[in-house]
Amino acid sequence: MNRVVNVLRMQLVNRWIFIGIPLIIIAASFGLSWVIWALVPFDEVKASGGSQAVLWYFFALGIQSLTLTFPFSQGLSITRKTFFGGTVALFSLIALAISLLFFLLGLLEKATGGWGVNGQFFALEWLVDGPWYQPLAFYLATMMALFFIGFWAATIYKRWQTTGLVVAGLGVAVGLVGAALWINFQGQWPQIGEFLVSQNQMSIAGLLAVVALVLAGGSYLTLRRAIP
Amino acid sequence: MKTVIEVRNLSKSYRNSVALDSVILSLEPDRIYGLLGRNGAGKTTLMSMLTAQGFPNSGEVKVFGEDPYENEQVLSRICFIRESQKYPDSFSAKHAFRSAALFFKNWDQELAGRLVEDFQLPVKRTIKKLSRGQLSAVGVIIGLASRAELTFFDEPYLGLDAVARQLFYDRLVEDYGRYPRTIVLSSHLIDEVANLLEHVIVIDKGRIIMDDDAESIRGSAFTVVGSADKVGTFLQGREIIHTDNFASLASVTAVGTLSRAEKTEAAELGLELAPVSLQQLVVRKTISAAGADLGASKTSSLEVTR
Repeated sequence: MNRVVNVLRMQLVNRWIFIGIPLIIIAASFGLSWVIWALVPFDEVKASGGSQAVLWYFFALGIQSLTLTFPFSQGLSITRKTFFGGTVALFSLIALAISLLFFLLGLLEKATGGWGVNGQFFALEWLVDGPWYQPLAFYLATMMALFFIGFWAATIYKRWQTTGLVVAGLGVAVGLVGAALWINFQGQWPQIGEFLVSQNQMSIAGLLAVVALVLAGGSYLTLRRAIP
Repeated sequence: MKTVIEVRNLSKSYRNSVALDSVILSLEPDRIYGLLGRNGAGKTTLMSMLTAQGFPNSGEVKVFGEDPYENEQVLSRICFIRESQKYPDSFSAKHAFRSAALFFKNWDQELAGRLVEDFQLPVKRTIKKLSRGQLSAVGVIIGLASRAELTFFDEPYLGLDAVARQLFYDRLVEDYGRYPRTIVLSSHLIDEVANLLEHVIVIDKGRIIMDDDAESIRGSAFTVVGSADKVGTFLQGREIIHTDNFASLASVTAVGTLSRAEKTEAAELGLELAPVSLQQLVVRKTISAAGADLGASKTSSLEVTR
């Protein structure tokens, strides 16, 4: 357990990467959006998708933690299991922290009339249209799913190199096309449409959480035999 | 005696090549081992298997009596910084040392600091901007300061200048004297490390071709220098492993040891006796192993044509 915590601390040895840069990305994407809002001569609500910028940064970090931090952890004689535990704990904590930050800034956004310029950045209408915890759950699930997509893809690359990635990519594509064909064959498109329409923000967050969990399991099993 | 490493019939092959071929080894505690061999002989592969960083196709590895794979108890006592060790992108040497301190319970920060000065390592520069020699120095410092019970150095001298290399060898011996542990030093610069080694393991094409005490290996052959005729008569009947001729002079290396009487005889004949360097012996052993290999493949190809 102690070593799991140390894996977390090891990655935070350079705070800049996990704390400094994300804050800068959030501040910069927000600042730029605000300037544009202020310039636009339009009094209705102005929404910006800038809050997702930092999510993509974590997608890249997920990849890097495997291609570089994993080999380093092996050099420090850390077991794969411990590395996985510590890394997932780290990303979960950060995802939680950013979700909370977005949630609080969202409250502030609404209280200040969209930062004085009727802007929408953190409290996007679609996200806050529901129970109070909805944006929190949505941000968290999205970040974890993105992180694990990057992490698992990098693990597959580490274990089977390019061949592995190509096979996995093709597999996913073939699976999707196959599913589409099957739905077509069964004449199920209306039901699928109904299902999609019936989804709300919370159920999408739930689905993303399930996806993240499945990806986490796959990542772990792949990492068990990965070489640095 | 309790062993630190037990290896049984370890084999590993990659798509087109055999990296390890039924390796059998046993390493004792508190000794300095040299793992010698040419580039691509299987040194790094062997060390990867011993530290569970890589996976063998068959065979068994026991470190401190247990399988090292995913074994915290065992791995926490091992340090293996590979020659091509990767570090997180944003890390400086300082970050790497701070990380290592988190995981090696015997980590000595003071020693790390002294080594940083020895190697004049810029600790605040990101590792990816370091030169090859400075990168090696980072690995060497982690290896030494970790004071792990079992420490592997994978060609630690790459890119280091002569002064830095000497400093490394000196510090290694110094610290080993104070804190004995099992050290495996992989190298193809044999002469440079020869004096440090207590035991020598030579690997070639994935096979162990020599596994013996450094002393007994050095004593296993000798060189006689003198006029070619006299050297020839003197060495009559002995197994010769190498001959160098300069005009009427010859320098011949033969297997075995000399009795006191033989030494006196050599002196009377005006012959000079010289020890054989470890490097010479390893080189010859490797070449003759390759020769045997060639012979074997020739006979097998003959059999096929028949």
